[in-house]
Amino acid sequence: MKFMIYSKYIKLSSTNSNSGAIRLGGVHKQYAGVPQETLKGIDLAVAPEEFVCLIGPSGCGKSTLLRIIAGLEAPTTGAVEKPQELSMVFQSGALLPWLTVEENAMFGLTAAGKSKKEAAKETRPYIEMVGLAELAGKYPHELSGGQRQRVGIARALAVRPKVLLLDEPFSALDPKTTHELHEDLLTIWREQKLTVLMVSHLIEEAVSLADRVVLMKDGAIKETFNVPLPYPRRENGIAFHELVQKVRAAFFA
Amino acid sequence: MVSYPRSIRQSLYTLVLVPLLAVVAAVLLLQHFTAAVAPSHITIGMLAYALSATFIRLLIAYALALVCALPLSFWVTHSTSAERVLLPLFDVIQSVPVLAFFPVIIVFFAHYGLYSGAAIFILFVSMLWSIVFSLVGGLHSIPQDIKSVGALFGLRGFAYIDEILLPSIFPYLITGSLLAFAGGWNIVTVAEVLHTYLPGATASSDIVGIGSILVHAAASGDEQTFGIALVVLIATIALINLFVWQRLLKYAERYKFE
Repeated sequence: MKFMIYSKYIKLSSTNSNSGAIRLGGVHKQYAGVPQETLKGIDLAVAPEEFVCLIGPSGCGKSTLLRIIAGLEAPTTGAVEKPQELSMVFQSGALLPWLTVEENAMFGLTAAGKSKKEAAKETRPYIEMVGLAELAGKYPHELSGGQRQRVGIARALAVRPKVLLLDEPFSALDPKTTHELHEDLLTIWREQKLTVLMVSHLIEEAVSLADRVVLMKDGAIKETFNVPLPYPRRENGIAFHELVQKVRAAFFA
Repeated sequence: MVSYPRSIRQSLYTLVLVPLLAVVAAVLLLQHFTAAVAPSHITIGMLAYALSATFIRLLIAYALALVCALPLSFWVTHSTSAERVLLPLFDVIQSVPVLAFFPVIIVFFAHYGLYSGAAIFILFVSMLWSIVFSLVGGLHSIPQDIKSVGALFGLRGFAYIDEILLPSIFPYLITGSLLAFAGGWNIVTVAEVLHTYLPGATASSDIVGIGSILVHAAASGDEQTFGIALVVLIATIALINLFVWQRLLKYAERYKFE
């Protein structure tokens, strides 16, 4: 992985990459009224179609980093290069309660100015992909937690992103639903040829899904772990267990 | 399917044009509701006429309050610095009893012969703050992730207000409106009896409405008229609550975040 070198004199820049690559150079984030920096000079490169998982203790800045990449927050200084075709799945699902499953899923398209008819046509395959075709007319309060998160994934995919960002998307779900969604996510990642950057607080989840696990602590990247295990990964296998232990040791060091 | 107006044009039509047209139509209509009705001449038809006049005044005041409350609440919550200055200021203004303004307001409106205008203005002031503070509470309660969804998909300005903010605060708008109407019904008895605030005025300066009928009937000892007017007023409020507010509150459940 080749890291971009960024000039110290670039205070802030955000550029578009044509591929699914993400490159961050010297990204700092300082909130007003907070003495410590939330992000302390993050350098990170994610290759097209790579699956990277950011892990770290609460408050280490991983969600802030994701929000900066998504364009929801600006870095204080540093450079961000990312494709315009980028979408995000939120921890809470973040569905609009007054819209049906179908309307939520096509929200990104209607927000971009597409007609409801056109947006519905384009969204239909993604609703089917996440297995919610029969629930298209239901409202979020009528769905289970897993179904809501599936709608969030369909909404993110419907805009046909090159990069999919996920902010702890499975943290509020039961183990069975989480396992099912892990499989769905891996299938979608491969079929859609997406670059995936996911935030998680679970080491096993990160090792199970990602090509690479990036450990963050105190606003900085502490260590990066490549995961050379083939899919589907056997979570009770020795290699998997050893890698989890290695990441765990660094996490708690 | 969604029945909420989703485009900017629809929202402007619903929230601005309709209330403004209602104001113009109602002001023309209210020219007929000028002189108060003497209690001894009260008939059921006159009661209905007076109730309609009062209700139209409340609707106009509400429409004006809504048109002002929405931008005010968006303005207050737009930035923390604006909120730090404006919210305490609004709190002080709304704490001043609305009737304290009334003598000054009446003199101003009476100068131009707009007696109903004085009543509407006082109702407007009494309704405004219930809606503003309710909407400010609603805007604060929108989850950060929901705001992020709008930003992520490129919604800005009016589109963001239309697609994210307005539906998000809809339950708070209903609650605030309910409180505003409750306050309006409270004030209406005073707002229609103008002569007590106008130097040298008589009961003929009062405006027709259920409030002025109640006050005149009480003042002249006409217990029968007072009783009938009171029952009509209570029944109207109860029916509006049952068929409008309760239904809207139930409908607004769909707009609430879990």
